[in-house]
Amino acid sequence: MGDKDDRSPKKKKGATKDMDDLKKEVPITEHKMSVEEVCRKFQTDVVQGLTNAKAAEFLLRDGPNALTPPPTTPEWVKFCRQLFGGFSILLWTGAILCFLAYAIQAATEDEPAGDNLYLGIVLTAVVVITGCFSYFQEAKSSKIMESFKNMVPQQALVIREGEKVQINAEEVVAGDLIEVKGGDRIPADIRVTSAHGCKVDNSSLTGESEPQSRSPDCTHDNPLETRNVAFFSTNCVEGTARGIVICTGDRTVMGRIATLTSGLETGKTPIAREIEHFIHIITGVAVFLGVTFFILAIILGYTWLEAVIFLIGIIVANVPEGLLATVTVCLTLTAKRMAKKNCLVKNLEAVETLGSTSTICSDKTGTLTQNRMTVAHMWFDNQIHEADTTEDQSGAAFDKSSVTWLSLSRVAALCNRAQFKAGQDSVSILKRDVAGDASESALLKCIELSCGSVRMMRDKNKKVAEIPFNSTNKYQLSVHETEDPNDNRYLLVMKGAPERILDRCSTIMLQGKEQPMDEEMKEAFQNAYMELGGLGERVLGFCHVLLPEDQYPKGFAFDTDDVNFQTDNLCFVGLISMIDPPRAAVPDAVGKCRSAGIKVIMVTGDHPITAKAIAKGVGIISEGNETVEDIAARLNIPVSQVNPRDAKACVIHGSDLKDLSQDQMDDILRNHTEIVFARTSPQQKLIIVEGCQRLGAIVAVTGDGVNDSPALKKADIGVAMGISGSDVSKQAADMILLDDNFASIVTGVEEGRLIFDNLKKSIAYTLTSNIPEITPFLFFIIVNIPLPLGTITILCIDLGTDMVPAISLAYEAAESDIMKRQPRNPARDKLVNERLISIAYGQIGMIQALGGFFAYFVILAENGFLPSQLVGIRLNWDDRSLNDLEDSYGQQWTYEQRKIVEFTCHTAFFVSIVVVQWADLIICKTRRNSVFQQGMKNKILIFGLFEETALAAFLSYCPGMDVALRMYPLKPTWWFCAFPYSFLIFVYDEARKLILRRNPGGWVEKETYY
Amino acid sequence: METILLIVSSLLVYMTGKYNPAHATHTYYETLRIGGLAFAVVLFTLGILLILSRRCRCGIKQKPRAPGDEEAQEENLIVSKAAKETPPEN
Repeated sequence: MGDKDDRSPKKKKGATKDMDDLKKEVPITEHKMSVEEVCRKFQTDVVQGLTNAKAAEFLLRDGPNALTPPPTTPEWVKFCRQLFGGFSILLWTGAILCFLAYAIQAATEDEPAGDNLYLGIVLTAVVVITGCFSYFQEAKSSKIMESFKNMVPQQALVIREGEKVQINAEEVVAGDLIEVKGGDRIPADIRVTSAHGCKVDNSSLTGESEPQSRSPDCTHDNPLETRNVAFFSTNCVEGTARGIVICTGDRTVMGRIATLTSGLETGKTPIAREIEHFIHIITGVAVFLGVTFFILAIILGYTWLEAVIFLIGIIVANVPEGLLATVTVCLTLTAKRMAKKNCLVKNLEAVETLGSTSTICSDKTGTLTQNRMTVAHMWFDNQIHEADTTEDQSGAAFDKSSVTWLSLSRVAALCNRAQFKAGQDSVSILKRDVAGDASESALLKCIELSCGSVRMMRDKNKKVAEIPFNSTNKYQLSVHETEDPNDNRYLLVMKGAPERILDRCSTIMLQGKEQPMDEEMKEAFQNAYMELGGLGERVLGFCHVLLPEDQYPKGFAFDTDDVNFQTDNLCFVGLISMIDPPRAAVPDAVGKCRSAGIKVIMVTGDHPITAKAIAKGVGIISEGNETVEDIAARLNIPVSQVNPRDAKACVIHGSDLKDLSQDQMDDILRNHTEIVFARTSPQQKLIIVEGCQRLGAIVAVTGDGVNDSPALKKADIGVAMGISGSDVSKQAADMILLDDNFASIVTGVEEGRLIFDNLKKSIAYTLTSNIPEITPFLFFIIVNIPLPLGTITILCIDLGTDMVPAISLAYEAAESDIMKRQPRNPARDKLVNERLISIAYGQIGMIQALGGFFAYFVILAENGFLPSQLVGIRLNWDDRSLNDLEDSYGQQWTYEQRKIVEFTCHTAFFVSIVVVQWADLIICKTRRNSVFQQGMKNKILIFGLFEETALAAFLSYCPGMDVALRMYPLKPTWWFCAFPYSFLIFVYDEARKLILRRNPGGWVEKETYY
Repeated sequence: METILLIVSSLLVYMTGKYNPAHATHTYYETLRIGGLAFAVVLFTLGILLILSRRCRCGIKQKPRAPGDEEAQEENLIVSKAAKETPPEN
């Protein structure tokens, strides 16, 4: 909070500088100071802690130790954004123009026609209703977001004036002496002054999957890597530690990341850009038509005011009233569909973004991997055996018959302090909670799975003595009684760093028999060790010995402090290696992304070897692709001599990334298809995302940790993990995978691409009817015929009959395998392009207009007005005082009679549009395939056809419609006027698509494939 | 389905029976209105029935499907969800 107060007086320039500052690395230096220096700096004491007075003073100066919550947008701003964003602008402009036209008419005419007023009101209503709809949709998903927040107040144990007090974590200040123990959440950034077996889980900050030990010594220049700093909101896994608080609140490492995240500006979503482009096109067409006919009207001798009203009328007629609602509903339907497949979309527009994605930057820990250590390989009997690492134990089992394996499993089970927490018998072994170290629990679970109850084994072999693991010995040993009650010997088991274990061994067990350890075996061991280490796995060595009875008789007092028993000349049993294995569904998902043309980049805070191993495991680095280092190793030449162009894959270390210039960075991103970034800081993740975006890629970022959140926010679409993800990452993301399954991303891509295609179809369908809606007005102006189609009937089409069919296109199945094609190029593949406009407006729309006019002329002719007589009749026709207008046969028509015929024509025109829209709907189902290939499986679409026809019949025949909407019943024969045109549309477009398929890349494709 | 077709055809018979230019214009319009409305109602019911029938048929169809046939099943699921969601949209 104090930080915020400092910043607020600064100008905007200061804020941007602040952001750049945040992007730099952490400025902590306390880890390099001695404890005394740190104490002096914070005016504290390493034993007594701060005085209460000082603490209160610091609290006042620095503010409480809490993260400033990201500025929340007020609800009304969110609502206004829905109301005035994107498409709505077009409709608002239309509405305003309508009111303007009405105002002009009201000022100049005695009895102004209400059409423009109604139209304006309807347009406003449409925008407001759709705005409310999408507002509530998003409010729903943000409510789900709220439920993620856990509001448990944190406590901290501080030492002030020599006394231990439990205080609220918010009251912790810099300089406080703090004690943490296993299970605690660290309340602030701490410089450790003393520690006992303390391990912290930094995975949410750095992405390392293994707990890190903490000690008072500085082990690294980088504050993130050094052992003597523990970070705010990471967890202490085991042991205890004491330390001095060096940063609180927003100034902590975590706080800086959170501030950086909330300060990032995000660009528009791809679909928003597409809609903007669409609005430009529509506005262009509308203004062009409007101005052309404005000039024509002036030439034809209309007054200025009349011409202006025509201009506005034409512009407004171009606004597709129903499209906003259609697009919103289509996106909502897809969002719902995705939510059912466990992808929760926070922002409606983000639904499509995954479909346009061309690069996915994925975090490793917890996203690609299971975030739990698991036994992956074993080496015994001079052979590497593969263990089952799948989440559901569906993988292949190794040979368990060897006696060596029995010994190895016994050592692993006995020399192991981890145990299952009580009361979990019903839970499957892999899901049980374990008390203890990650690798020990991995061993425990592995043995429990393959050899049965470890507890029974431990009960049979009672523990007599134990030396726990420490960093100087690098081994752990324990002494047990043997299973055989008659055998009075003791069994000594030991595990630890393989090279240390090997040093203590003189024999090795092969096929259950002890054999002397010769040079050949040592080399075999080295090879196995290197190979497993090269896979990024953590390797442990195991050995045992049966202590001779004569030296160590029953009841021998084993002294573990001053070791009084044999700890060398042991028998080597084997190696076990562990890794945080990839999730089962990931390799397949990565493969699918690949074939969909999406580049998958791994960005992790973990070590390069582990990262590379996992990348190879999940296919991010595909088989046979080498890095520069691999090539160098294969050809036995120095790395500098390898041409970087030869290597498709590359692994880049965070410290190298720091020194890269922007050009070098671009070069790497452009020239390597398979990239792994290891040891990256949160800031670097952000830089990587920005780099990809600079190259024009649409970037998706997946991650679960706090360290991912700046990148999640900056990405075009951030995907967070619902179960394992941190709150900060969920806040920053646009989409949340509720089941943490990376494979759901593939679903997202598929749905996104499908909805993009289907939106094109929906728009093409909706736009087409614009032409038969505008042309009547144009002819009314130019050739002075009675108006063929009124405003009310236009609204009935746009907001009535066209709605369900347009929405039903969102349910259309994909035409081809959408996961086999490249992602769309945002610069070239637009949602709405000139070709779509040309098809909708120039071709199909024109045929539709012909159909409508045909019905219009038929009805007038049946009533006595032949087309030749209609031209130029408008002034007389609309003259209220003229009650004896003669038709072609000399019959006299009163004004009211004429109007009834005119409105019957409106109704017929309307019905004709519905009829031609049937054909339009069917041809819009596909963009390339024939309907006969696609089939009519989309039942919603068929429902749409029925519904629009029923609605048209209802509007025409319902009693009272002549008063309410001025629509009149039609003779059944008039329905059939447009049928030939409907048929023509179908044949025309099928022919076009046939040519298009026959000549790929030909003229027809270039000019008409939208 | 058969019953609906029966109703439609009987309606058509009814309409054509009454379709007689000798009648007064008013009666003609009355018939036209009733016929048209009936047409609308029938179409609408047909549409609704179509969606409902789809869901039932789908439910029966899905059971015997082999679990390995995931691809096809998924496709079917999408449509079935779609069907369930649509009625409130109208």
